[in-house]
Amino acid sequence: MPLLSVRDLTHTYPNGFQALKGISFDVEAGEFLVIIGLSGSGKSTLLRCINRLIEPTGGTITFDGADVTHITSDALRKHRAQIGMIFQHFNLIPRHSVINNAMYGALGSMPAFSSILGRFATDIRTRAIEALRIVGIAEKSDVRADTLSGGQQQRVAIARALMQTPRMLLADEPVASLDPSTSHSVMSYLDKINNEMDTTVICNLHFLSLVRQYATRVIALKNGELVFNGSPHDITEQWFTAIYGEDAVEVEIR
Amino acid sequence: MKKLISIVIDVLLGATVVALVERVIVPSLMDVKPWAFSSLSMSIIIGGAVVWASIGLLRGASLGRLYTGLDIPEGASRTIVSHLGWIALTTCIIGGWIITDISPVEFLSGEGLQGAGRIFGALLTPEFDVIGAALSAMVVTIFTAFMATVVAVPLSFVLSFPAARNVMATSPMGKTIYVVLRAILNIMRSMEPIIWAIIFSVWVGIGPFAGMLALVIHTVASLTKQYSEQIEDVNDGPIEAISATGANRFQVIWFAIVPQCVIPFLSFTIYRWDINVRMATIIGFVGGGGIGTLLTQYQGLARYHEVGTLVILITAVVWTLDVISARVREALR
Repeated sequence: MPLLSVRDLTHTYPNGFQALKGISFDVEAGEFLVIIGLSGSGKSTLLRCINRLIEPTGGTITFDGADVTHITSDALRKHRAQIGMIFQHFNLIPRHSVINNAMYGALGSMPAFSSILGRFATDIRTRAIEALRIVGIAEKSDVRADTLSGGQQQRVAIARALMQTPRMLLADEPVASLDPSTSHSVMSYLDKINNEMDTTVICNLHFLSLVRQYATRVIALKNGELVFNGSPHDITEQWFTAIYGEDAVEVEIR
Repeated sequence: MKKLISIVIDVLLGATVVALVERVIVPSLMDVKPWAFSSLSMSIIIGGAVVWASIGLLRGASLGRLYTGLDIPEGASRTIVSHLGWIALTTCIIGGWIITDISPVEFLSGEGLQGAGRIFGALLTPEFDVIGAALSAMVVTIFTAFMATVVAVPLSFVLSFPAARNVMATSPMGKTIYVVLRAILNIMRSMEPIIWAIIFSVWVGIGPFAGMLALVIHTVASLTKQYSEQIEDVNDGPIEAISATGANRFQVIWFAIVPQCVIPFLSFTIYRWDINVRMATIIGFVGGGGIGTLLTQYQGLARYHEVGTLVILITAVVWTLDVISARVREALR
């Protein structure tokens, strides 16, 4: 049974824009799935439907055998807690310390009241330091998150996601605001989490060179429809023009 | 709908212009008292209003159409609109001059100038015997404003979240609460603190407590609005990130929204205290205690040397607070 199963997924925004027009695919546990496509092709909406930051307007999403398409309240929070997410703009809490930002990953699994009083248990703190160590940034744990560079902030965001001990990690353009060398560092941490911690990764990417290096499988979206589903090495010149349009030229990132 | 509003505006505007001419300007020019309000007078006004509005209807050119953003045809119609505008403005200025009894003669008459000189002289030679009483009254005023701010801040903080659209727009129920709350706050804010002070001075008796309560009401209404607008302005990214960890609504507010708002909230709060000190002075005039009350007492006794002392003290304190609060807010940014 696949870990994640998406069937005929549609999403129409209140303004009438159809972001997803019937998407179907499966993700097996342990895969590193990369989603490619132009801006506005529906990649971000698709990721947000999976952890239900967005509620689909049609179709079904099954995670670990359970239908999560329209769950609410407690069931929804439990679902989200199993899935970590990182973002293009890192989305850390700027004035808070690195260690606190990491600990916020545990919010979903702790009582709201004690978390608001700031009572994070010692084991959560220990785990947060461990998570920061995994992404190589434990020595910065007491500095303010907004004083870090982009790549460092993204690693803190990964640590925050790791605090959820996620079964799946969603990454929405994780390197789009980073420079090439930092991009590789962040991607290699995602790769490490995928390989060593057996976490399934679904990642939106722009650069095909990164796709070929890290993805075990690729799906491509165009105008809200799935136009490619296969191995990264099968994306030929023809597929490339089909996905990105006639005028596109592939840009290398090393 | 727009068309209806524009016609209503034109009718009211026409009625105002004609009424000003007929009941204020013409009697004043003829140097007689305005004549009794009769049905003739009434029909002149209505007739004028109809003529005024029908220009808009016939030519598609009127101030009402301009206000509601309806299309105004090019050419002659534009000229008509500008003429109508000038007529309305001129009538209002002339009528207003007469209604407010503006009189340069009195402003510059020998007797008047003498009176002014006496008061200014007294204000400029303050009687510092009252400085003790003045200072303690000033302390009352400053702390009235301070306590009003302290009491209002937690209330405003709690209310600002249900008054923020991005927090409440998730459900129809939430939207209703948002709309109702915003309406109540707007009404509260439209009532001047001086009116609240009159109400509370009857309720709890004249004194600083009445003044504080009046300020609390106004401060809650204003701060909640400012706070909630700040909340509506926060970056969505952290909200998504915290939601994605499985956090519940309160955790999202506390960990994603509040940290983004703390600094601006502080800045608004300090500014509000600054405003409240000024308002507390005015509120004192109607029984809110503190230096305002002292000022009305001495003014009632026509003891302008003492009034001078108070005025100097108030100016000094307000100016100092203004500078300090501006500095602090600058540092917070």
